[in-house]
Amino acid sequence: MRLLGAGVRFREMANSPQRHRGFREVTENTFVVTFVCGLLLAGTLTAQTVQQGDALWKQGRYSEANEVFMALSERNPGNAEYHVKLGRLSLDYGYPDQAQGDFEKALAIDKTNAGALLGMAMVSAELYEGKAADLAHKALEADPKLVEAQALLARVALEDNNDKLAAEEAHKALDMDAKNVEAKAVLASLDLLADKKETQWDPHEARGYLTIGHFFFLNRRYDEEIAADRKALELDPSLWPARADLGVSLMRLGRNDEALKELELCYNSGFKNRLVSNTLKLMSTYDRFTTFTTDKTILVLNKKEAELLRPYFQAEMDRNLRDYEAKYKLKLSGPVRVEVYPDHEDFAIRTAGMPGLGALGVTFQRVIAMDSPSGRVPGSFHWAATLRHEMSHVFTLTMTNSHVPRWFTEGIAVHEEGTVSPEWSDRVGPNEIEAIKDHKLLPIDTLDRGFVHPTAPAQVIVSYFQAGKICDFITEKWGWDAILAMLHDYATSVDTPTVIRKELKVEPAEFDKQFMAWLDPQVQKQVQHFSEWREGFKMVNAAVAKKDWDAVLREGPAIRDDYPDYVEADSMYEALAKAYTAKGNNAAATKELQAYVKNGGRDPETIKSLAKQLIDAGKKEEAAAVLDRINLIFPEDRDMHVLLGGLAMDIGKPQEAIREYHAVLADKPLDPAQAHYDLARAYVGAKQTDKAKDELLAALEIAPGFRPAQKLLLKLSEN
Amino acid sequence: MKTAALLLLMALAAPAATYYVTISGLGGEPDYDQRFKMVADDIGNSLKKAGGDTNVITLEAPKREQIRAKLEEVAREAKPADLLVVMLIGHGTYDGVDYKFNIPGTDISGAELAKLLDSIPAGKQCVVNMTSSSGGSIEFLRRPNRVVITATKSGTEKNATVFARYFAEALRDPAADADKNETVSALEAFRYAQHKTTEFYDTNKRLATEHAVIEDTGKGEGSKDPNAEAGEGRLAAAFPIVRLGANAAAARDPLKKPLLDQKEALEQQIDQLKYNKAALPEAQYKQQLTQLLLQLAKVQEALDK
Repeated sequence: MRLLGAGVRFREMANSPQRHRGFREVTENTFVVTFVCGLLLAGTLTAQTVQQGDALWKQGRYSEANEVFMALSERNPGNAEYHVKLGRLSLDYGYPDQAQGDFEKALAIDKTNAGALLGMAMVSAELYEGKAADLAHKALEADPKLVEAQALLARVALEDNNDKLAAEEAHKALDMDAKNVEAKAVLASLDLLADKKETQWDPHEARGYLTIGHFFFLNRRYDEEIAADRKALELDPSLWPARADLGVSLMRLGRNDEALKELELCYNSGFKNRLVSNTLKLMSTYDRFTTFTTDKTILVLNKKEAELLRPYFQAEMDRNLRDYEAKYKLKLSGPVRVEVYPDHEDFAIRTAGMPGLGALGVTFQRVIAMDSPSGRVPGSFHWAATLRHEMSHVFTLTMTNSHVPRWFTEGIAVHEEGTVSPEWSDRVGPNEIEAIKDHKLLPIDTLDRGFVHPTAPAQVIVSYFQAGKICDFITEKWGWDAILAMLHDYATSVDTPTVIRKELKVEPAEFDKQFMAWLDPQVQKQVQHFSEWREGFKMVNAAVAKKDWDAVLREGPAIRDDYPDYVEADSMYEALAKAYTAKGNNAAATKELQAYVKNGGRDPETIKSLAKQLIDAGKKEEAAAVLDRINLIFPEDRDMHVLLGGLAMDIGKPQEAIREYHAVLADKPLDPAQAHYDLARAYVGAKQTDKAKDELLAALEIAPGFRPAQKLLLKLSEN
Repeated sequence: MKTAALLLLMALAAPAATYYVTISGLGGEPDYDQRFKMVADDIGNSLKKAGGDTNVITLEAPKREQIRAKLEEVAREAKPADLLVVMLIGHGTYDGVDYKFNIPGTDISGAELAKLLDSIPAGKQCVVNMTSSSGGSIEFLRRPNRVVITATKSGTEKNATVFARYFAEALRDPAADADKNETVSALEAFRYAQHKTTEFYDTNKRLATEHAVIEDTGKGEGSKDPNAEAGEGRLAAAFPIVRLGANAAAARDPLKKPLLDQKEALEQQIDQLKYNKAALPEAQYKQQLTQLLLQLAKVQEALDK
């Protein structure tokens, strides 16, 4: 999964939408009806009991169970247990935030209520928060016999890929209750994730298989997850959370007909939580997309931008496949499917319920879903780097049969971004600097925890950075073959410490030391001077606002050099370029902007201003190369295509001009006649006269009196 | 004698004059004051550069009396054959009943403005109201032979608009002249500014708070996408907001009259062919279109000599 980088304009990304949110809120009408009925029928509800609610819940009749618990809770406002029941029901229905509210209400009544503390721990685990284990321990303190809390500790440990701890915690749970399904399921998952064909811990219960499915899902072993969900449903067809997970996983793998069947069954049976509803909604919009297929690729684009994006995406997909087939020595057994979503909310449905923050792309076996550049603020993400990142997952997951740990596949993916150009690499962002400064990078054998159960939101971003740097380090010191060897090891379900010892011939702790010794000099200056940089950054930008160009030129260079990786909003490069321009020193301004681009600056307007400066200086080839970068960042910039098309013509590259003018036309320009005429000129340059005539006809059909087009048509007709 | 006769002929054949009245309103704060003035200046400069027989009047933050006086002056001068273009830039308000254009002192209402414009004899008029809530002015300003363009679809779109910036741009950007006849019509300028406004909100990932509309039937509510079959957009398509080239001069040269007639006939044939496009096989359409376009290009070449 590719995340939005830490340094991106200092914007905090919202938590990725979770699988489920408050069904009592979503089904508002149902709630109102329920509430009113509850009041009207209060007299008849006296017979309702917790046991009745539980029975309805067990039958998958969530709405009715909810009514019972709500009525009980309203009649007994001082009873924390009813709030706990409501919370557990909400959690099972897939609304952890709703559940959290219920557990908080219970804790307000009784702050040591073990069930409520356990509920909070379960919510935290569901949201992949770092505090789940602490909360489970608190629940155990409140009630040492609370086996569910003990089993939850096992689950959380396994989510962190801490197999040893997971097994210990699970056995403790079984010591408390030898029949505990969750503990058995954790132990069974340990065996099954290690590719054992059979396990003595088979839970033989539907909910146990749901848990096993969860671990396969978390380890991106979707086919096995699907099998586990199906097994759960064989035992209990009304276990709707399992059917919902099954439907969503089928959708993620592009098995849409099967997915639709399962999700519609959920919905029509009353299990219509946000995950189910939103996925069905997304699937109903598939007719807005169009598919382009080659032998090795399937590209799915929204019709409104398909014509514009296709050439650029196809070229990058082909390039990545060529590179990766050679690097990983692997031919994929089928095409890679890339789905591009212009509406981020549609993409977010694809990633719902997955750990991580603000994802830009996600890979499910050979299926990649990602944001379209049009779904993001221009310059806020480099779509080609994201695509390269995700496509590397296809290879690492295939090579290891999805056994690669999260940190390693993400690390390789981040590393791969920089192999095209250093400009595509992740920059050292403020979060990473803070983490290095505070010694918060994780040891390699627990790095997965930073992705799955971060102790702070920034830890996910920092973990991506760290994993990427680790792969840079391994490649640099041990060579690319070491990475391949590690991938082959992981395919046999070996754990990270064993792989490190075997392939790098060092102990994990020693590896960490060597890594930090390698990393420190690269970031030392930025880490040491970060506080001064922050102050200087504010000061220089205040000077920019006041147009105090002397102050900018006096202070700016040193601030820039304290943190050269900072190329986000209001960077020192841009400040200095403005100051130099104001002082009439265009050459120095250009030099600053060149450094900005070289360091990975991605703001299309700044890149365009550099291109214009280079054009003014007569450096058209350089200007064209600079502008071409925007195609990989924000190809929806029509002015850029016009400018680049013109430059390509000027420097004798009509094929590039053809591509650019096609992009102009695909973007439904304001002036289509001019766009057709420009394309005709490019075809003339490429000696494709027939196509040129077609474009001229198109131009003149719109604007019969368009003189330059008339002249060119006459000229071509004479020849 | 020959020259004098020609001059007389040209004078008789001279096209109508166009009166442009651009008014920027009260900003309420320096940023808006400056922004409105800049747009008004931009429009004024474009119109002056375009040349031709025009009267360009720009009023910046005028009082109600100044607006009344200037429009009354235009009413005295303008003739039925003339064109009138009034452009309003600034803030507007709509309380559900009255639209008001915000100016220093007492605001001017939509009804008062309509009354002043009705008294101007210019046979064809175009009012481009680019203020917030400008959609609320349509009911007052619409009438036969008047194009009304507003930055918002109703009086309830109350946020400051960006439409004015792009309408001003349409008057100087050749891209606005979609049919390349060297004249930007009211419809072309509207579409240009509407397109750019939509792009502005899309690119900035902001919810659009303005939706420009055009009304030229004298009875409609204003349309985002004028429907030609319902007669919408016809007057606006034929209403020249600004001439970008020298075609007007050529039109006045009697020596080129036969060529101009030929050109017009060819243009009509092309229009007819385009109209029949769906009924013709593609190859046949393409062949006929090519022939007509080549003939037109040759006539134009002769005209340009």
